[in-house]
Amino acid sequence: MPNKTKKSVKKRVTFSDDTTTTVSRSHNKTRSDFIANHPPVFIRKTFKTIPWHLLFLLYYYVKLSKNYDIITLLKMLIPSQFIYLMYQFNKSTIYGNKRLKLNITLSLVTIVGSFLLGFPILIIVILCGAPFVEHLPLSWLLSLHISYLAYPALYSVFNCDFKVGLWKKYFIAIVLGGWLSCVVIPLDWDRDWQAWPIPVVVGSYLGAFVGYSIGAYI
Amino acid sequence: MARNRQTKNISKTDLMDEELIKKSILNISSDEKKIYKIRINKFKKSHLLYVVLLSCLAILQFISISFFTRGFLLSRNVLSNISNHTDDSLILSPKFDKLVILIVDALRFDFVIPVDTNNTLFNDNYHNNMPIFNTLLQTDSNSNCNSHNSLLLKFIADPPTTTLQRLKGLTTGSLPTFIDAGSNFAGEVIEEDNLIQQFYLHNKNVCFVGDDTWDSLFQPYLSNYSVPYESLNVWDLHTVDNGVISYFQDHLGNSSSGESWDILIGHMLGIDHVGHKYGPNHHTMKEKQIQINQFIQSIINQLDNNTLFLVMGDHGMDHTGNHGGDSKDELESALFFYSKKPGFMFHFNDSKSLNNYNMSNLGESYKSINQIDLVSTLSLLMGLPVPFNNLGWPIEEFFENGDEKEIVTKIMINQLLTYKETMGLNIETSNLLINGTLNSKRDFDLGHQYQTMFLEVCKDMWARFDYNSIITGIVFMIISLILLIVITKLIPSIVMNQMVEEFPPWMGLMTIVSNICFFGVYYVFNKTLSLIDSPLWCFLFATAIGIIVGGCVPIFDRYNFAWIVSKSYEVFFSDYWSRIGCMILLIHSCLFASNSFTIWEDRIINFLLISLGMLTLVEFVFLPKRQTPNALLTAKISANEGTTSGVNSSTANSNNLPLSRFGRLLGGYHSLVLIICTRVASLITICREEQGIYCSPTFLNSSNNSIWCLTLCFLTIFIIPAFIKGYYNLTSSYQAAAPIWIDIFLKGSLLINFVYWLLTSLENSNINYFDQFDFNINIVRYTIARIIAGFSLIATNIGWAMGPLCIKLNVHNTDIKSRYATILGYMNIYGSEYFLLVINILIAILLFNKPLAQLSLCLMCNQILSILEIIDLLKLKENIIGPIVLGLLSCQQFFSTGHQATIPSLQWDIAFILSDKITFPLSQISLILNTFGPHILVALSVALLTLWKQPPDVLKPQTLLGRIVSNCGMLLIYNTVLCLSSLIWVTVFRRHLMVWKIFCPRYMFACLCLIITQIIIIIGTVAFATSRLIQHINDVFWK
Repeated sequence: MPNKTKKSVKKRVTFSDDTTTTVSRSHNKTRSDFIANHPPVFIRKTFKTIPWHLLFLLYYYVKLSKNYDIITLLKMLIPSQFIYLMYQFNKSTIYGNKRLKLNITLSLVTIVGSFLLGFPILIIVILCGAPFVEHLPLSWLLSLHISYLAYPALYSVFNCDFKVGLWKKYFIAIVLGGWLSCVVIPLDWDRDWQAWPIPVVVGSYLGAFVGYSIGAYI
Repeated sequence: MARNRQTKNISKTDLMDEELIKKSILNISSDEKKIYKIRINKFKKSHLLYVVLLSCLAILQFISISFFTRGFLLSRNVLSNISNHTDDSLILSPKFDKLVILIVDALRFDFVIPVDTNNTLFNDNYHNNMPIFNTLLQTDSNSNCNSHNSLLLKFIADPPTTTLQRLKGLTTGSLPTFIDAGSNFAGEVIEEDNLIQQFYLHNKNVCFVGDDTWDSLFQPYLSNYSVPYESLNVWDLHTVDNGVISYFQDHLGNSSSGESWDILIGHMLGIDHVGHKYGPNHHTMKEKQIQINQFIQSIINQLDNNTLFLVMGDHGMDHTGNHGGDSKDELESALFFYSKKPGFMFHFNDSKSLNNYNMSNLGESYKSINQIDLVSTLSLLMGLPVPFNNLGWPIEEFFENGDEKEIVTKIMINQLLTYKETMGLNIETSNLLINGTLNSKRDFDLGHQYQTMFLEVCKDMWARFDYNSIITGIVFMIISLILLIVITKLIPSIVMNQMVEEFPPWMGLMTIVSNICFFGVYYVFNKTLSLIDSPLWCFLFATAIGIIVGGCVPIFDRYNFAWIVSKSYEVFFSDYWSRIGCMILLIHSCLFASNSFTIWEDRIINFLLISLGMLTLVEFVFLPKRQTPNALLTAKISANEGTTSGVNSSTANSNNLPLSRFGRLLGGYHSLVLIICTRVASLITICREEQGIYCSPTFLNSSNNSIWCLTLCFLTIFIIPAFIKGYYNLTSSYQAAAPIWIDIFLKGSLLINFVYWLLTSLENSNINYFDQFDFNINIVRYTIARIIAGFSLIATNIGWAMGPLCIKLNVHNTDIKSRYATILGYMNIYGSEYFLLVINILIAILLFNKPLAQLSLCLMCNQILSILEIIDLLKLKENIIGPIVLGLLSCQQFFSTGHQATIPSLQWDIAFILSDKITFPLSQISLILNTFGPHILVALSVALLTLWKQPPDVLKPQTLLGRIVSNCGMLLIYNTVLCLSSLIWVTVFRRHLMVWKIFCPRYMFACLCLIITQIIIIIGTVAFATSRLIQHINDVFWK
């Protein structure tokens, strides 16, 4: 339900499109043009948000690693996403008028949160047609990848009190990437990268790359 | 929920009778009566016009399908010339006087060879049970190498591997065309020159026993003492085989009691029927094989010295025991020759023999010959002319090197050249080169090369298409799609109500005019136009043109092309859900552009349907803000009409309000039900052969007859009525007729249905439970099946036509002085009554589906109801997404009820549920209800999109009808787009390697889906159900 009381928005978990924190209010035009033209929380339109590390990881996964080593990829993804959040994503995020420093505690909590988020994602992946029993570990690793790709966005959701409106597009981009990548699975090209879950992993990475790169512009 | 109930002021609270309610609730003044009568008359008139209009569009589509089919599935030009001996030098002296042919239907090659028990594919039930062949071959090789008197070859059939086509190939030596596959059940006397006819013409007496397909094909040439047996009853494993065995015993050997014979043919069906009924992996297969093994042994014991004995299979069987396609297992059969003639032996080319006759690894590299090669071999051995249309090459092993082979080559080349000249074929110059050398050298191998090349040219030629008809069919389909879109979706239903009067007269008039014109053209051009070369096609073409013109006149009278474009943008792309719907339609129709997507269509459909469920779930959980013009429009109309017709404004305006918390919870729950049901149903699959190792079939005979499956079926007797009751209770509609239908009819039928399938699976199980009884268990089964079919298809529908209302007057108010009574189930009065009809058909369809498919259909019932609730909650009743989801659901359920878009996956055994032989129309109805059950259910329930949770007296009858037609139209558009896309892609891929295996069956399936959906929507949904329902409810709640 949309929240009617605009003042007490803090500390309420509503997964709604509440725009109070993300859309500027016209009667708040006091401080400067900069604030007036921007919502309270937003991401700067800079090249800094481009997650180059995802491309390198993908290159490693597809070209360098043997047999598409998904576990090593995950081990590399988690720290690099953390670094990305610390030096790139969080630095481009403006809360009110200033950049907040990275909340280390919260970011560590979010790592656990991402891990837990993997389980609902696993259920969704299985519901969407992943094999029921066989390849269950692989499906789980896939969902962990997806949830850690969403890690910077998840941190930001926690950091601004569950107002998902602004961050939703990052989640959507990752899911959309994975969804679209399913196209190649049934093709009869007989390539080894068509095996489960390689296309979806690659698709989610690409989705995340595109999402984090252009997220500020949409 | 308060909004579900409608309060009315009544004077006496103890009146429960429907008539009295009517009298007391509604004040009838004469004016109102008049208005009501006018309105109903108007409704009746426009209803009739709608039916006529939809039928015209359906006819247009049928015509386009028939034009396309005529162009695509060309039949081969059959020459009726008969070969004669013309040149005395081209006669080979007969090697044998008599011939014994034993055809064992579906004798796969690996059945007859020894299989290593350590092989992973080894199966005790069908391997190593027929050792006779190998014993004879071994005796040969162990004894003196000059006495080879037996020969085993791998026998490669040409697809389609159905018995009728194989018999034609085996006797004419020619190739079948695809269209023949459909006529497997209606064999006509063969017109081409064939082996049996040659036997007959040369005074050989042909005695036949077995499969009656022979009788229909070769009736005039067979001896009067032949004994054909009914062949299509797959439940009967023994009659034919026992008949063949006793007939052979009577006729073989010296103690012949019957008349003398020259050719003795037996066609045994036991193995084929075991395959169809149980699959190869069943103990009866072992019994059958052992029986045939003994039979062959006894034949060999009785053979005289002047007889050639051959055993062959006409085709193989796949892992499910069915056949018809062109997988390796279906094509590979066995051919075995044996003769005791002294001085005769098979000539093995020693250098090759080791590799050629290698039986290890299931005979993978064993020497194979084509099925059509048999005809020329037998003709030469018996000293007969080779049949005129023959394209095969004689089997090498029969002929000595040197002179004999040279004569054989000469005869064969001569025959091929005669055929070539008569057909007027153009063989390319590179082939002529071989031809030139042939004349001088007459080398056997070179001749074989020439024949192979000749065969390829012929194959290529018979895959030639009639492009005029194909293009006509596609163009008609495109135009019919545009007309359908414009008429049912673009023109607003208010305008349509006026316009509907104009269409039928215009269409009728234009049809007559164009018929006159085109028949004029037809006679003027003196039947030379290739497109309309007979009165029938001329009539069809003219009618299609007439309908198109007649449809365009009223449309372009009011609108122009620009309006159509802008309006279709508005309908199909204006809001979020329309775009999603369009995207899904686009994705589904693009699947046919690739063979791998077509192969995996079942998974992709599941994926799409689940994705849709996810989207609705997100919608209910996060509730994004978005504009829905269509929903707003609906709300406005109902609000306006609501106030005039006395509905309290809160109910009418509730459409404008955002979803309540309860609504969101409910919606989320329904989305989850949809997702989970779809995922669970997707576990049931019968894999396509092309899906290979990536798919493990679950829809097997063994799992259908398993205890857990039957237990689940037993549980559904209680679960399904409970679920439906739950959905009814949401609007308190579980009143009056609903308990009778759901609790008694549905539950009772499900119980009887369960008994039927329990009996069937007990009969199919390994233990013979019924041997101890005297009576025939089949009689019980037929009785049960006919009772359910008659009850659900006829009796309950007549009952439904009487109008079962699902409402109840509730007078137990807490306030004693209250003068208000509540009508329970008022909110969903249309939907609850209409769904009872769906239940009727559901019962019938359940009977004709195997236990696992029944479980899937039970899930489908939930899916339909959940979709209806979701659509209602999201106010998408007018949106295109509703019919599209239902269309997707019908496809998904088609696959999860154990079907695939291939010919072998048709469940032929279902045809014998109502009768023990093929009987029109019982068998056809059974097959249609089995194959297209989900499509029929969806075509019926598409009206529920409008009617579900539709309170009476909000919309006028005519508006309601308009909206139902609009939703039905959208479902038809969905099917038409699929059909059109498959038509286009099968044309594009006509030279594709996989066209007959993947694209062509999919195109035929899409056409049949469209036809079935059209028929059900026009006759069932619009003509029968909607008119009965709307009139009946307006009778009760008239104003």
